[in-house]
Amino acid sequence: MDYLYGLAQTIGVHTIIGLSAYVVLQTGQVTMAQAAFYAVGAYVSAMLTTLWGLNILIAIPVAALVAMVLAGLAGFPALRFKGLMLVVATMALGEAVREFFFNFDYQIAKGDLKVGPAGAEGFRQIRYFYERGWTTAEVAAFIWMFVIGIMALLWWMDRSRIGAVLRAVGEDELAAQSVGINLTAVKVSAFAIGGAIAGVGGALYAHYTTHVEHTAFGVLMATFAIAYPILGGLSSVFGTLIAVIFIQGLLIQWLPILIGGELRNLLFGLLILLAMNLRPRGLIDPRVARTLRGLFVRSPHA
Amino acid sequence: MVLVQAIIDGILVGTTYALIGIGFTLIFGVMHKLNLAFAAASIAGAFASLVAWQHVKDLPVPLVFLISAAAAGVLGYVIYLTCFRFIPLKSPLATLMATVGMLIFLEEIVTHVSDGKAQNYPGMLPDARWTLGPLDIRVDYVLVFAISVAAMLLLLALLYRTRLGIATRAVAQQPVAAQLCGISLDRTNAATFVMSGVLGGLAGAMIGSSAELLSNLLPLQLTVKGLIVTVIGGLGSIPGAIVAGLLVGAVEKGVETWSVLARDLCVMLLIFVFLVAKPAGIFGKLNVRD
Repeated sequence: MDYLYGLAQTIGVHTIIGLSAYVVLQTGQVTMAQAAFYAVGAYVSAMLTTLWGLNILIAIPVAALVAMVLAGLAGFPALRFKGLMLVVATMALGEAVREFFFNFDYQIAKGDLKVGPAGAEGFRQIRYFYERGWTTAEVAAFIWMFVIGIMALLWWMDRSRIGAVLRAVGEDELAAQSVGINLTAVKVSAFAIGGAIAGVGGALYAHYTTHVEHTAFGVLMATFAIAYPILGGLSSVFGTLIAVIFIQGLLIQWLPILIGGELRNLLFGLLILLAMNLRPRGLIDPRVARTLRGLFVRSPHA
Repeated sequence: MVLVQAIIDGILVGTTYALIGIGFTLIFGVMHKLNLAFAAASIAGAFASLVAWQHVKDLPVPLVFLISAAAAGVLGYVIYLTCFRFIPLKSPLATLMATVGMLIFLEEIVTHVSDGKAQNYPGMLPDARWTLGPLDIRVDYVLVFAISVAAMLLLLALLYRTRLGIATRAVAQQPVAAQLCGISLDRTNAATFVMSGVLGGLAGAMIGSSAELLSNLLPLQLTVKGLIVTVIGGLGSIPGAIVAGLLVGAVEKGVETWSVLARDLCVMLLIFVFLVAKPAGIFGKLNVRD
């Protein structure tokens, strides 16, 4: 059972990081910086709880806030670019942040143990849950509280005016601008919201793994972050969830048991290729999303 | 003097970065799309030649390089077929994601072939040195430089002196108009992928040969570095990619004399300087909004 709860934790955190990219992607910006905000969330929250003994319910919002501010600041220069230039700019930002944590050394003696981020070795001893005797199931439930909260928030956002504005910018900037949408405000907000969500994800990740290091926040993580919403489709938050369950649950956890771990990444790459050739707009594309909505909701403007 | 020496080394080896940058830029110029699997395909080509070198006795070194170029050229065509040919142009995210899938696929193959560690690769005259006053110039670096420059000249001749080159440039400028003139988009795009693949394979072989090692970590490292070169040089600009490649090589080796840890960080800072001060890149037109 613990294995399943562990899997639930992974899926939960990856859903959060996927959703953080989902918001940014909706405005038509491809960001490779989500891993950076994820890293900031992880390190900031872990330092707050481990070094200064704060409650996790305080640490997570603070981490989210720091990540949000950083994302907002990064959003302004990033706005000068679109498409490919943005991919590269955000990738450079992500790598710079990762290099920063690679060189980041700040430890405090606690009893006979020195704790804190130790450069390349990473940050060990994030024992918040462990010290308080939380079981794996309780941690998983705690994580999923956040997942459900964020999904509900984004689901509501998608159906509200805010979602319409985000999508308008994503579909056609010129048209959006000409109906009076402030592109700068929308894009920076999307970046900031995405950053905050990634920060929450990072904070949860740091506390359930108990050990973070810079390698976890590289280009690969950034790629995963945008892969989930793109594979799942940008029409519904559930697409991201399904993609995460498919990739993390099926491909990464169970496939190795079936065919051996050797071939996992090969198959993973091929499946992405296949999925994009067959469903270029994601698993849940606008058509499927409309059909699904029609099944559950009977509203005059469905 | 150590610094001057390092910068000269950096410029000589930087030509390989320039080749990778040209590959990215060429595909972007023609298709207005990013092929993230390009650098990985280049290194995969180098690994294909490595396998040939390991299995065939006394394979001449130039032939090893040619095998690398050919293998990467084939991979270029495969990438075109799987990631671009059948995906509608209207979904840019889909092609981007497909090339990411290809990147993961190729990286995994490289990991398997290399057993997860760096492998020996045939070098060119590894011990030969030229002494120029206080400078000590490695002959194999000069050879890398010469071969890369020759490849660039060949590419320019291909682009500006042949019918295929005219077609390629026409498609890059105006795909619809080019099609109306009877140029096959499909064939021109495929040819561009093969061309850039051959260049990349050669660059991969040069990178392996100058270090006499092929690292299994290269696909990702080179992807990031190649993109940086492309952006600093200006998307779609071949001269820009060349200058940027040399610049990145020089900065990298120069910083390395001071601190190896700071090397990658400084390259990232370099790109930020460019993004803020000169977002169009060295030679790019100000066309940042694709």
